Amino acid sequence: MATTIIQTEKLVGKRIRRREDPRLITGTATYVDDMQMPGMHHAAIVRSPHAAAKIRSISIKAAAEAPGVVAVFTGKDTEKVGPVPCGASLPGLRVPHHYILAIDRVYLVGHPVAVVVATDRYLARDAADLVEVDWEVLPAVADPEKAIAPGAPPVHPQWPDNVAFVYNQEGGDVDKAFAEAEVIVKQRITSQRLIPSAMETRGVLAEWRGADRQMTLYTSTQVPHLVRTLVAGMLGLEENRMRVVAPEVGGGFGSKLNIYPEEALMGFVSMKIGKPVKWIESRRENFLCTIHGRGHVDYFEVAAKKDGTILGIKLKLIQDQGAYHQLLGPAIPTLSVLMMPGLYRTKNIRAEVIGVFTNCTPTDAYRGAGRPEATHGIERMVDILADELGIDPAEIRLKNFVHNEEFPFPTATGLTYDSGDYAAPLQKAMGIVDYTKLRAEQAAARKQGKLMGIGICTYGEICGFGPSPATPAGGWECGTVRVEPSGKVTLLTGSCHHGQGEETTFAQLAADELGVDIDDILVLRGDTAIVPYGIGTFGSRATAIGGTALYYAMQDLKVKMKKFGAIMLDSHDVSYANGQVVCNKMGKSVSFKEIAAASYRAMKLPPNTEPGLVSTHFWEPPNFTFGFGAHIAVTEIDPETGQITVRRYLAVDDCGNIINPLIVDGQVHGGVAQGMGQALWEQAVYDDNGQLVTGEYTDYTMPRAHMMPWIESQHTTTPSPVNPLGVKGVGEAGTIGASPSLVNSVVDALSHLGVRHIDMPLTPEKIWKLVAGGKN
Amino acid sequence: MLARAIPGCEGLEQTGPDEYRMKMKMALASLSGAFEGKVKITDQSPPSSFRLLVEGSSKIGFVKGEGLLKLTPSGEGTEVAYEGDAQIGGTMAAIGQRLIDGTSKMMIKKFFEKLAAESAS
Repeated sequence: MATTIIQTEKLVGKRIRRREDPRLITGTATYVDDMQMPGMHHAAIVRSPHAAAKIRSISIKAAAEAPGVVAVFTGKDTEKVGPVPCGASLPGLRVPHHYILAIDRVYLVGHPVAVVVATDRYLARDAADLVEVDWEVLPAVADPEKAIAPGAPPVHPQWPDNVAFVYNQEGGDVDKAFAEAEVIVKQRITSQRLIPSAMETRGVLAEWRGADRQMTLYTSTQVPHLVRTLVAGMLGLEENRMRVVAPEVGGGFGSKLNIYPEEALMGFVSMKIGKPVKWIESRRENFLCTIHGRGHVDYFEVAAKKDGTILGIKLKLIQDQGAYHQLLGPAIPTLSVLMMPGLYRTKNIRAEVIGVFTNCTPTDAYRGAGRPEATHGIERMVDILADELGIDPAEIRLKNFVHNEEFPFPTATGLTYDSGDYAAPLQKAMGIVDYTKLRAEQAAARKQGKLMGIGICTYGEICGFGPSPATPAGGWECGTVRVEPSGKVTLLTGSCHHGQGEETTFAQLAADELGVDIDDILVLRGDTAIVPYGIGTFGSRATAIGGTALYYAMQDLKVKMKKFGAIMLDSHDVSYANGQVVCNKMGKSVSFKEIAAASYRAMKLPPNTEPGLVSTHFWEPPNFTFGFGAHIAVTEIDPETGQITVRRYLAVDDCGNIINPLIVDGQVHGGVAQGMGQALWEQAVYDDNGQLVTGEYTDYTMPRAHMMPWIESQHTTTPSPVNPLGVKGVGEAGTIGASPSLVNSVVDALSHLGVRHIDMPLTPEKIWKLVAGGKN
Repeated sequence: MLARAIPGCEGLEQTGPDEYRMKMKMALASLSGAFEGKVKITDQSPPSSFRLLVEGSSKIGFVKGEGLLKLTPSGEGTEVAYEGDAQIGGTMAAIGQRLIDGTSKMMIKKFFEKLAAESAS
């Protein structure tokens, strides 16, 4: 037994390289498509080329007789499989029955109508072309505002007005605020449809073992346990007979926080043919058949005093829901309502949300999910107000921020902001860029006819989703810490991370907490047969909730270790420090490994002592956490071409305590890239007939590395009181901060030409026209 | 004559008065498909104009269009003016947007060139 105490180096707060990266960047990780099984078959899905049509008949004869084909199924075969679920609940919500294969009518391009199963992927794909569908084409509608106008073709004939739901929320006294206002600014602001574009498309491999009555479903998902509960339910299979595995998942951004028809369909097929069956989504399918993001038309009104004090905010929000509700679709715009006051003190808000059916791909959570839309709206409105009143955009924000002494701050929308110092990141950002000097430079540039803009966004983000009452399926998370007999540590987490780096951050936490070498720690996730029931990774929740669950599991584990240590040291007065249990009187100690071995060997244990070293904790957060920050974008515009150059991009984010600054920077960079994508380039465009005309990367402009500016990432630190780690969340911060700061910057560059607002994306064509025309 | 003039046309068969069944091959960048469809001639007011309705589908999508062709004597020959609308859908619509304008202009040009050549011979 050792008698010295080793002072181990703390890892939390260190820029440690991600432990998962070697396998990811060398292409050796295992995704669904890498999985092979004996007897595995392949599925190809026949999809509708029409946005709205009746199916007169389907002929599968030619396909069924094609080489290698073992089965073809249509909606008639799968009619009894449960509908694709919608987890959101709103009063009066209209939920269309979402069959996994269309029965007699299709509602969007890409709607699955049949599945062809063959011994080979290519044979399945070829045979899918032989399925003949006799269509009766119907008129379609693809624009949400047109869809709710009188005379629009009904998406679902039972609801001719195309209204999916109407949701109202009000706080304070809005009428009084607007009556007392000295100035009211109004603006229509859109947040366009986006295609989430995870690097790995979706994929499902189902393996039904009839003799065992057990199903294993490998699927590229953010929420394996939810998939198990819901897909088992769709298939009429007992939940404990279904195992869901999310192997390596190549990005999700919310698009894999869902339940898709293909997950149940592959389960159905495997049960029918008694063989494993795999379907891998093609990129073209991904554009059409995986959820889209955003899709807002917002009508904002802000009432204020002449000194810039915001008195109240009104919002009419039209959300394009697409043809169906996916898992959380209708809930997403309600998050925009929650976030609509931003970081500002105003207590008077009124929002009316109209969810609209269109013959388009369903919209659902996409990185930020409701918060980028809200932040874009309020941050644009604040700039418009500042412009109207001739107040500097930084000054008007500082004037309206929630004061530090007001935390925890109850908002007009019913949230409680946990902690904050909202001026701090803005002041830090202004200091770093030398804001005063920049403004002087801008004035000088204008005199020379040059177009330069400075854009500010100060944002708040609901992180750590969330307390269970605020989520459709529980907002807690589970964590298990298991010490093996050899002293190696296995962490099991319900946070099904898929690129966020928790294999590193959770190991850092555990290394510090338990005092063990990080190389002795393995983090496992994503398999319902291994990990206790968990919720998943989305909504900037993994560290704040999943990390905290592990933290409490480790506290429990340390109590157990102390108990074993006390037995081994024959002392009641022991403490746990640096991976050892030490006798406080004698100074003797037993090591982590010695305790681990003894706990399983279980010799000389007093009666009623439980052997082994495993602790599990399910942690329910008392509140969300609220990250915040300030982003500043400096842009220059070429008046000849309308080309925007982002000269400087600075993000100052406050995500509470930081476990790994390198990973936080990575999250900010990725988030800013996606936000910049929305601000400058990306847009899913449908024609009037509901055809997605941006169905490939030639027409849908994804940000590429060479299009990105240098992103500076800085921080202020305001710990969250909601969890013992003091962390908030940063997964979506970059996306939320980027689009308003960039659009504000470009509008600022053109403000002297009378430009007050520009809808995204800020394509060179749009900008060139504004510069040439001089008017919005 | 029409069958020979339509680029990619592999068969044109009369099914009724002024109605034809048509098979044609069309390529759009990396996509190509064998279309089967109908051609209908309406609103005939010889010799100055007629309307052409075309409908076709293939595994790469569908096309639906109509065009008004106006013929006016011009010197030695005839001037042909056309206007119309086309709707496309399916994979072609999703991935071929940038190419559709160019391809359709090219096909129309080919059509009239061939038609002119055929009529001359």
